[in-house]
Amino acid sequence: MKTAFSLFVFAIIGLSCSREPTITNEMVDGGTLFDPSIYKPELYLVSKAVPVPTAEQAKKPVIIACHGYSATTFEWDEFRAWANGRADFYLSQVLLNGHGRSYEEFKKSTWQDWQSAIMAEYDALTKAGYQHISLLSSSTSGALLLELVASGYFANRMAPRNLLLVDPIIIPSDKSLSLVKALGPMLGYVEAKQGAAEDKVYYHFRPQETLQQLQSLLTVVRRDLEKGITLPSNCNLKVYKSKKDPSADPVSAVLIYKGATLSNGQPIDVELIDSELHVYTRLNLREVVTNQDRQNQTATFTNIVFRVLR
Amino acid sequence: MKTYRLMFLFVGFSTLASLGQDRPSKDAVLDVGIRLQKSINLYAENGITAQYSNQKLASKRLLLGVSYVTSRLGTALNANAIKQDNFLTSATYLFQPKWLVQPLVKANVGYFTADYESELFKELPHTSLLASPEFGLCYCPRFPLKVTASIGYNLLTGNGIVGPGTLYPVFVQTSLTWDVLMKTTKKKSTN
Repeated sequence: MKTAFSLFVFAIIGLSCSREPTITNEMVDGGTLFDPSIYKPELYLVSKAVPVPTAEQAKKPVIIACHGYSATTFEWDEFRAWANGRADFYLSQVLLNGHGRSYEEFKKSTWQDWQSAIMAEYDALTKAGYQHISLLSSSTSGALLLELVASGYFANRMAPRNLLLVDPIIIPSDKSLSLVKALGPMLGYVEAKQGAAEDKVYYHFRPQETLQQLQSLLTVVRRDLEKGITLPSNCNLKVYKSKKDPSADPVSAVLIYKGATLSNGQPIDVELIDSELHVYTRLNLREVVTNQDRQNQTATFTNIVFRVLR
Repeated sequence: MKTYRLMFLFVGFSTLASLGQDRPSKDAVLDVGIRLQKSINLYAENGITAQYSNQKLASKRLLLGVSYVTSRLGTALNANAIKQDNFLTSATYLFQPKWLVQPLVKANVGYFTADYESELFKELPHTSLLASPEFGLCYCPRFPLKVTASIGYNLLTGNGIVGPGTLYPVFVQTSLTWDVLMKTTKKKSTN
């Protein structure tokens, strides 16, 4: 019923409003605020900070953290802050292409563009000699990582040690996304309900073209999972999924569990989190944060590092 | 749960069959066949369908039916898709029953259940009531075979908080049915 109502509202808005959103310079959409990793990549990317590692540095585990659709490197800032001072692993925060720049840049990007930033950092690190790389994702990046595995990207490369997916999306919670191909051109864009502070780190306006890209990606990955995805040798996968999630339907975890297996045929790990937040590891700028949310965040950060270092 | 499903099918089909036997066959219609359904951007779910009408049901304009469609006979067949079942009862109204191609509207209510096959996911919602209108056309020649195509909209879907996640809003379906009473009518008339 809610979907029907939202479709109706979207259709009315789409027919009655202009297709160009009202963007301000206070939004990351505006083309004046950029993700900080664009100015100082060496503070975010290990491949830029330590491009020529020593033998000892090359053995140190690297976690490549990838954000979700419409987000920026901000999404994993709290993980960096939590890990501050630790010298037993590196953290590389990737900015997906098309993100953290401007509405126009976002509008013309494809899901392959988003994914290429992850591949660029992974390739740069492996070429530099890093031997122990794990990939950490939130939301849409989870689908991007699964597609990398399914497409054989790791077949001729050193495999990652871990894929750690926080609130991966395969099935959207808002089912109207399934109709975006038909309704999208009428809508033009969809506006996110978020605060002014979030507007600086998450796109406020979501062009229908990118929603179509998102739907295409989800369809590709869902079909890959239906056929079966086998992880590379010595690569582990864990899904951390909120039990209730307004963006990535929790049933996404079921599809990944059924569709992905370790190289030895064993099932992957899944942990359902007692949370109603999407990307429950990001708490900054949220209006309401409970003690349970903080405990979930700390427990997951601890578990991620434990799995990477073991 | 399996018992309920079997009871649903048994009661539905036997009711329709008995209705067909109680009335003069020339006045009644009992269409039995297959239903092929596809949710937009999700699973194909196929199964069986039956519907009955007679002169007392708005001069055969109103048809009462039952259907069972499942991803087990669709996307989940030899694949890692979620196994899910839809049990539907329906009322169909034909606007122009004498036309070769008849516009129709249908109201479905029923029950949906998904099998996640692991205790890990026992806390996630996996059942729901079903309620959906359908709009479509029936190609109904003077022959027992009928082809019906329609588009439907599930009023109840999953939204990440409540409801099964793989219950999607828009679906299209095609039914191929055979009127099992039409042949009987012909025999009686020749006798």
